This record gives sequence, C-alpha cells and structure tokens, in this order.
Amino acid sequence: MNATIDRQEALATAETRIEPGKRYGFFTDTTLCIGCKACEVACKEWNQLPAEDMALSGTSYDNTERLSATTWRHVRFVEQMADGSGERAAGDGSAVPRPGDGPHNAAPDRWLMMSDVCKHCSNAPCLEACPTGAIFKTEFDTVVVQQDICNGCGYCVPACPFGVVEIDQLDGKAHKCTLCYDRLKGGLEPACAKACPTDSIVFGELGALDRRANERVRELHARGVEDAYLYGTPGSPGATGGLERLNAFFLLLDRPEVYNLPAAPSRPASRILPALGAGLAAVAALACLAGSIFAERPRR
Amino acid sequence: MLDRPTERLARPYSGETYYERAPLKPAHWDWTVSSYIFLAGLGGAAQGLATLARFADARQFAGLVRNARHLGTAASALGAALLVLDLKTPGRWYNMLRIVRPTSPMSFGSYILTAFGGLSAFTSFSEMVGRRGLVGRMLARLAGIAQIGAGVTGAGASTYTASLLSATSSPFWAATPRHLGVMFGTSAVACAAAALSLGERWAGRHASGRRLDDIAFFATAAHLLASLSWTRRLKREGIPEAVTSSPSGRTLNTGEMLVAGAVPLAAYALNRVATSNRDPALSVIGSVAILAGGLMLRHGALGLGKETAEQPRTYFGRAQPAQSKRLRDRR
Repeated sequence: MNATIDRQEALATAETRIEPGKRYGFFTDTTLCIGCKACEVACKEWNQLPAEDMALSGTSYDNTERLSATTWRHVRFVEQMADGSGERAAGDGSAVPRPGDGPHNAAPDRWLMMSDVCKHCSNAPCLEACPTGAIFKTEFDTVVVQQDICNGCGYCVPACPFGVVEIDQLDGKAHKCTLCYDRLKGGLEPACAKACPTDSIVFGELGALDRRANERVRELHARGVEDAYLYGTPGSPGATGGLERLNAFFLLLDRPEVYNLPAAPSRPASRILPALGAGLAAVAALACLAGSIFAERPRR
Repeated sequence: MLDRPTERLARPYSGETYYERAPLKPAHWDWTVSSYIFLAGLGGAAQGLATLARFADARQFAGLVRNARHLGTAASALGAALLVLDLKTPGRWYNMLRIVRPTSPMSFGSYILTAFGGLSAFTSFSEMVGRRGLVGRMLARLAGIAQIGAGVTGAGASTYTASLLSATSSPFWAATPRHLGVMFGTSAVACAAAALSLGERWAGRHASGRRLDDIAFFATAAHLLASLSWTRRLKREGIPEAVTSSPSGRTLNTGEMLVAGAVPLAAYALNRVATSNRDPALSVIGSVAILAGGLMLRHGALGLGKETAEQPRTYFGRAQPAQSKRLRDRR
C-alpha cells in the first residue's frame, strides 16, 4: 500500500513533500547553529520525554552532556581559544589551535556548536543487531524502535558506532530519535527541524539534502572557510566501513573527534564471520585431536 | 567529491576528545551474560566431545557420554535462564524467536541455543530412561542421532558468543574478532574436557580421565599460545596497555595465563610424569583451575568491552581511515 499523505504541512515549513517510499533525513549545518537548544526542547515537547537530572557540567554551556533514552537531540559546545585557554575543549590540549601554529591552526577564538542526533544509518548497526525485529526501517528510510516489541536485551546499545541508542532503566526498552515517525505520517516536518530558528537543522528528502549540503560546502570554501566538510554523506568521513551513508549527516569545521564523532566508524556485523569462523576452526582442530585421543588403543 | 575530507582530516588524529566524554554507550550486560558465555562454552564443547567419544568407543565412554549429556542440558537450561534474567523486559523473552537475523549473533545464537538445548534435553532424557525394553532401545538409537546434532550445535554454542561480542562497536570486543573466537573456542574445549575429567575421576574411571586430561592439556596449550598472540595483536590494534591492566584486564590476564594456563599445564604434566596418572589429586587441581580460569576469561573480556566503550581515545584512535592506520603501524 502506498497511501499518500493528504495534509502536507511540511511543504510550507520545509519545502518537502513527504511520501512513503522516499528517503528522508536531516542535514545539520553546524556553521549555522547558535546553540539555542530549541531543538532539544522541541524534541522533548513533541515526544513527551522527561527532563534529565539537572546539573551543571562545569565544562561548557553543554549541560545536557549526552544523547540518552530520553534526550534525542543534544547540542554540543566546543570552545576553542586562540590563546589556548580553552584547550580542555580539545582534550589533552596537544591539538588545540594556537596562533602561528600553521595555516589551519591560525584560527581565532571560536565556538563550535553542533546539534547531535541519531544518524539513521543506511546499514543501521542497531537494526542489524536487534534480535527481536523491534528496530526496523520505516517507509521513510528512517530507523525506529518499536516499543511494543523491544525486550530490552540491550544489544543495540554497544552495536551503535555513535553511542546513540540507550535502554531506559524505568521502562526497560531501547529508545532513540524516531525522526518524528508520527509527524512524518501526518505530513509534518520533524519537531527539531521545525523549531530550529537558523535552519541549522534541515529536514528533507536525501537527494535534495545532499545537493543543498554540497552547495553549502562549495559556498563556504569560496568564502575562505576551507575546513568545511560533510560528515556522513556517501564517501565522506562517518559513512565508512560498510555504513554506506548516514541519513542524518552534518557539516563540520574541525576533526570529527572534536565533536565526539568517530572519523571512520564501521559496521559491526562485518566482524561476525571472522570471529565465528576462527572460533569454529579452533574447535574443529581440537576436535580432530580429541577424536584421535579417544580412538587411541590403551597401551597397557 | 565535493566534500573532500579536507586538510582537517589530513591532519592526523592527535587525541582530541569532547571534554573527555564517552563516545559510545556500554552494554548493560553483567555477570549473568559472562556466566552464560562460560556455560554455553562448557556445555556445548562437552556435547561435542561426547559425540566424538561415542564414535570412538560407545561402551568404554558410556559414563563420560552420560555426564556430557546432562552437562549440556543443565548448562543450556541455566544459561537460558541467565539470559532471560539479563533482559530489561524479561516477560518478552520469546520475542528472541520472533525473527531470524543473520547479521545479529544474538538472533542466530538464540536459535543455536534453542536447538542445542532441545537436542541435549532429548539425549539426557534417553539416559534417564535407560536402554531397557523396546522403548528404551529406540530412544537410545534416536538419542545417538540427536547426539550428532547436539555436538554440532554445541560447537556453535561454544563459539558464537565471540561473534556476539565482536559484532559491536566497543573497542576491546571489536579489535580482535579472530583472536576472541579462538580464545573462546579453545577455552570451551579445555573447560569441557576438564569438567568431564572431574566426573571420570570422581567415578574412578581413570583410563578415560587420562584421555580427557590429555585433551584438556592440548586445548590449554593452544589457548595459551593464542593468548600470547592476542596480547600482541591488541597492542597493534591500538588497545593501550593501560586498558588491559585495569581490574577487568587483570582478571582476564590472570585467568587465561595463570589459572587456565600455567597451573593446569603444570598439574597435568606433573601427574603424567610423577604419578603415571594414578593420582587424581593433580588432575583435579588442573581441571578446577581450567574451569575457574575459563570463567575469569569471560568476566574479564566482558568488563573490558564495557570499559573501553567509554574511553574516547581508545575508540577514536581505532576508528580512523585505513590509510592513517597504516601510517600509525609503521611508526
């Protein structure tokens, strides 16, 4: 059944017609993010997610700290100071841009902000790991956990190469961003993208998003922001190791690790055969030996 | 490509993190899962050995086969209970058999465990009924066929758990899938031979006990060699030594090198040389050490996987494009 969706509010808010069978995702342009966290709030409001324990992280304006079972959008704040005072932002400090360090390190003080979200991977490792079929690909090519099927085995949690999905301790099920599956079914743009005041988060059909993202990178390069690159489009960092592409992809300015993203994640299922094959081979070799020991005639 | 990975990525990874925060989420699995991995290895390999022993001499090894059948049944029943206990929504355990998914060791492992448990239970049942009467003889014949299936699925149950851990993003589990498979496989055979040997010694059947000790000896030797190669490989794969010297790492290393390695090798060898296999005490020491070490190996490996998931540099250092990984290797 390829039912069309009658009410298409997304046409007005995201210039996108939502049709089952097409692939949708997010393009998150971090150069436009102002760190307002409207996406976090809109997500919690629409999906009726409870607040986390409120505490100050003491490291930056990022007090949300992580994506979790009840936080599906998370704005990161990376402070990079030219005088090195923000060096904790870049970990051990060795990689912090300092004036005169070299062409790409001559960066002025800057604040990198990025709204993180489930990547809705094309070959989603959480889905490939899920033994119950609770995690599935929707008609919009997004990845969703069916709450009435998940039995809380927790295999999707270590499978995810981005540390997104989590088991909620209260209800014992895995939760993550649904790319507003319910809203898509009603012709509505996802809540975070609709709430984003700078269009840092753009919702759309993947082909259109890729074109828009590539154009944006070209524009930034022309303006002298030569470090701009895409993370998660086919062939770029993030879409490595059999992941093909990330339906929710990003425009970044610094190395992925600065944003807590792996440069080259890989598909965990590719490690099944090596592990199982080597294990069975070892057991088979020992079985041959055991067989001959059992068959050996008693010496006395 | 328009999105050239640019100079930013050409600059090699040099330890950047996001405020030292965890890049991944660890599995919630605790001792229930590591104990299950141990039990699946023990029971599975025991049924494998029983199958081989039956082919060699069904009469001489009848006691061994009976013990292995009961061990397989008990291990799969207890193991399955531990797995259900580990679920965060245990009432829905049956959803594990809702679909078949070859990309998920948890999924095909559930079927391996179900098949292995069922076949083992049948072989156990025939042992309890005995060979008397027409029904008993028919059951025994059918159990002989089921035994082959139990041996094959047992081999699967004893090793698929390595792929279960490897098919994740947790650095320690993902780093060395082949070594993990060999470690679990050799440990499973050693544990099974050790457990069955304990049974034979207990019943005073020293002849078959000696053969089982020999099997345990060779499996332990293979395990120890694989372990040495594993340590080297982990270093090359960018798992720092600081990681493997954490409490979980110490449990793992002590378990595989000393408890399930040096101690049983020495005990079995000494038993062979000094007492010509008549003294069950040394054999028992070796066997108990192998079983304890096997459990430590599983607990340690589980813990290291969870720990490394929360270490940004361990994960990011490994998750680099192939080219820069080669560069790092050359250094």
